[in-house]
Amino acid sequence: MNLLEIRDLTLDLPTGIRLLHGITLQVAPGETVGLVGESGSGKSVTARSVLGLLPDRAVVGGTVAVNGRSPLADAAGRQQIRRHEAAMVFQDPRAGINPMRTIGDHVTEALRLCEDWPAARARAKAVELLTAVRLPAPREHLDQHPHELSGGMLQRVMIAGALSASPKLLVCDEPTTALDVTTQSEIVQVLRELCANNGMGMLFITHDLNLAGSLCDRLVVMKDGAVVEEGPALRVLREPEAEYTRRLVAATPRITGPAAGSDDRSAAATEASASEPELVVSGAGKTYRRRGRTPVVAVASASLTIPRGGALAVVGESGSGKSTLARMIVGLEEADAGEIMVGGVDVSRASRSRAERLARAKRVQMVFQDPYLSLDPRIPAGRAVEDVLRLHTGLSGPAARSRAIELIQAVGLGEEHFAARPRTLSGGQRQRVAIARALAIGPELLVMDEATSALDVSVQAQVLDLVAGIRREQGLTLLFISHDLAVVRRVCEETIVMRRGEIVEAGPTEQLLRDPQHAYTRLLIDSVPAPA
Amino acid sequence: MTSSTPTLAIRVLRAPRRPRPRLLYWTAVVVLAVITLAATLAPMLAPDDPDAVDFMSFLAPPSPAHWLGTDSLGRDILSRIIWGGRTALIGPLAVVVFSTIIGILLGLWAGWRGGWVDAALSRVFDVLFAFPSLLIAIMAVALFGKGLWAPVIAMSIAYAPFVARLTRSLVAAERTRPYVSAYRVQGFGGAWIALRRVLPNVTPIVGAQSTLNFGYVLAELAGLSFLGLGVQAPTADWGAMINEAQSGVAAGQLLPAIAPAIAVVLSVVAVNIIGEELSDRIGGENPA
Repeated sequence: MNLLEIRDLTLDLPTGIRLLHGITLQVAPGETVGLVGESGSGKSVTARSVLGLLPDRAVVGGTVAVNGRSPLADAAGRQQIRRHEAAMVFQDPRAGINPMRTIGDHVTEALRLCEDWPAARARAKAVELLTAVRLPAPREHLDQHPHELSGGMLQRVMIAGALSASPKLLVCDEPTTALDVTTQSEIVQVLRELCANNGMGMLFITHDLNLAGSLCDRLVVMKDGAVVEEGPALRVLREPEAEYTRRLVAATPRITGPAAGSDDRSAAATEASASEPELVVSGAGKTYRRRGRTPVVAVASASLTIPRGGALAVVGESGSGKSTLARMIVGLEEADAGEIMVGGVDVSRASRSRAERLARAKRVQMVFQDPYLSLDPRIPAGRAVEDVLRLHTGLSGPAARSRAIELIQAVGLGEEHFAARPRTLSGGQRQRVAIARALAIGPELLVMDEATSALDVSVQAQVLDLVAGIRREQGLTLLFISHDLAVVRRVCEETIVMRRGEIVEAGPTEQLLRDPQHAYTRLLIDSVPAPA
Repeated sequence: MTSSTPTLAIRVLRAPRRPRPRLLYWTAVVVLAVITLAATLAPMLAPDDPDAVDFMSFLAPPSPAHWLGTDSLGRDILSRIIWGGRTALIGPLAVVVFSTIIGILLGLWAGWRGGWVDAALSRVFDVLFAFPSLLIAIMAVALFGKGLWAPVIAMSIAYAPFVARLTRSLVAAERTRPYVSAYRVQGFGGAWIALRRVLPNVTPIVGAQSTLNFGYVLAELAGLSFLGLGVQAPTADWGAMINEAQSGVAAGQLLPAIAPAIAVVLSVVAVNIIGEELSDRIGGENPA
């Protein structure tokens, strides 16, 4: 008998929208099944149904059985499953833990309340669990509060808590998406060991095909609430049968094998290397000082050069100072030390006058990470572009409008999006609006700060193609900030690696990936999941 | 690499629950509309002149001639309530408008500039919070004399800090949002961003909160009239009517005091229901 058996699962919202169109999938004991798909594919809803976590007043059809028990039938059965059969690990560990209780409380809660274990015995078990997820000091962690632990450590605590009831099935909903790539690889290692040692089955939800391929035995690919393909992980990734899977695999950037878009890159690179430098950063530094605390060095003496028309990537994990560097270059932060020259003009000090401010904006523009937050919610797409045109080009009225429509169309949107509020646009569409807005000024240098990391892979591929096209046509210089080496490889010919505010390695991207010199670069490259 | 992209599952869980019964809200709207209409059309609607004295009936019980009876001076109570609605509504309206304008501007200044401006203004608000609004109003009456406008100005000043504090916290949160950084990178000036872009984004929430003040101010202004510090006789006013009729209550003459009191309660409750519904709707929409 299968551990998890989902058969023809359908789910309708009371509004009449059908989220799931007959999902069928199985997880055998000891097997790891990856559930992959883009946002809106229904993978999370499917996974949540295993523990009976359904939207309010949803209408469910089909059957779900965990070890023969249904989580959808009655409250008693659901409780039985949640206590003994299956456990779940969510995406954001900090959102799922009570900040007022200690780590020990969290891990032992299920044992004390459901199994009536005495405190001492539960505590001993908790130490055992925290050791199993390889936390450095299990005994000390028991009395710590969540704010004292990093995101990666907290996710291990959540896994330990989920394992406290010795479930036979573990459901993980994007458990590493909010974490750095090196932390992700450690967590994945822990999960892999736990499954092997306890013979536990796992349903692993992710949007990352490479991660799913490296961890899972079988993959189930979902799109729009239906399963489009399933099979052994390597087979699905190497010889996808469904058209959608093929597109998804093609859109997923990799750090090995032939790189998509490398022709564009090298063509642009030969042109670029001949010309003069567009951006020169020499010895720029930024230290945050707060009264009564040790100063935090966000960026320590960073130096880099991008020739006109070139593309440089800055790679690093959270806290590496890559975003601070970008913010100094566009003028959102003032550098404490060093010089930042864009197009031969020093921009390291804050602009004093209106003329200075406008001149600087004409030189450097930026596309921000989160397209959901970087557009003013009240301002329609077209108006956002028009505002910029009015400020910088002196166009107004119908002239500004027709130019704005041109720009909107140039980034692949239609005239119908002109009057659309950001709320009604998808993530990819919003990011296109942000790019159109940045290009409206006609900048020499474009800074993209994690500009594609909030997007689905297929949308990310489209946006990256768009940026490559603009670079080719307009000779734009690009500074690309990212945590994702595979994406960087698609876009930039040069890369620098940052760690804790310092540049540890710099060089041509391919060479850096093939032959990393610094230990940290090597660690980053090894942490990127790759299907075995 | 946190992505705040709402996934489908989250969006579904966030979907609004069953809309609460709108009956209460619409009743409140109708009640307030009736009161407002009656007050504006008072010359046409009121059966009698509110100040006309009927020497034939003092403290008369309800009758076809006087639907709610007469007061101790023989004036028609229904007419006085209808006319009294004018001062009862215009005062709080003025207070809400003035306090919102003052509060939004000061709150925007404090929240946008931060630093010492914020610190100084916040302390000023703290001091104003320390005084009950009624006390400020009484001081204003002592300074400027009785009537409608001295208490209105005092109340506007007393209520402005509530609006300012809310605006300040909203603006301070808004200021750190990426869309504001995006405007800066595009070369827009701080004043333009604050007044043209951030202000309109916080105004709906602040406005909805301000409507809630309407009810409190109405009750407090009626209280001032009751104390004899607000609108002066013989102008019809609900608070003043309760005051004039209170001696009769002991003697069993309930209606002259109860009728205007019911008018106060009805309008305060109606305004609060509408205000709460408005702030729910606007707050639930996620302003940014």
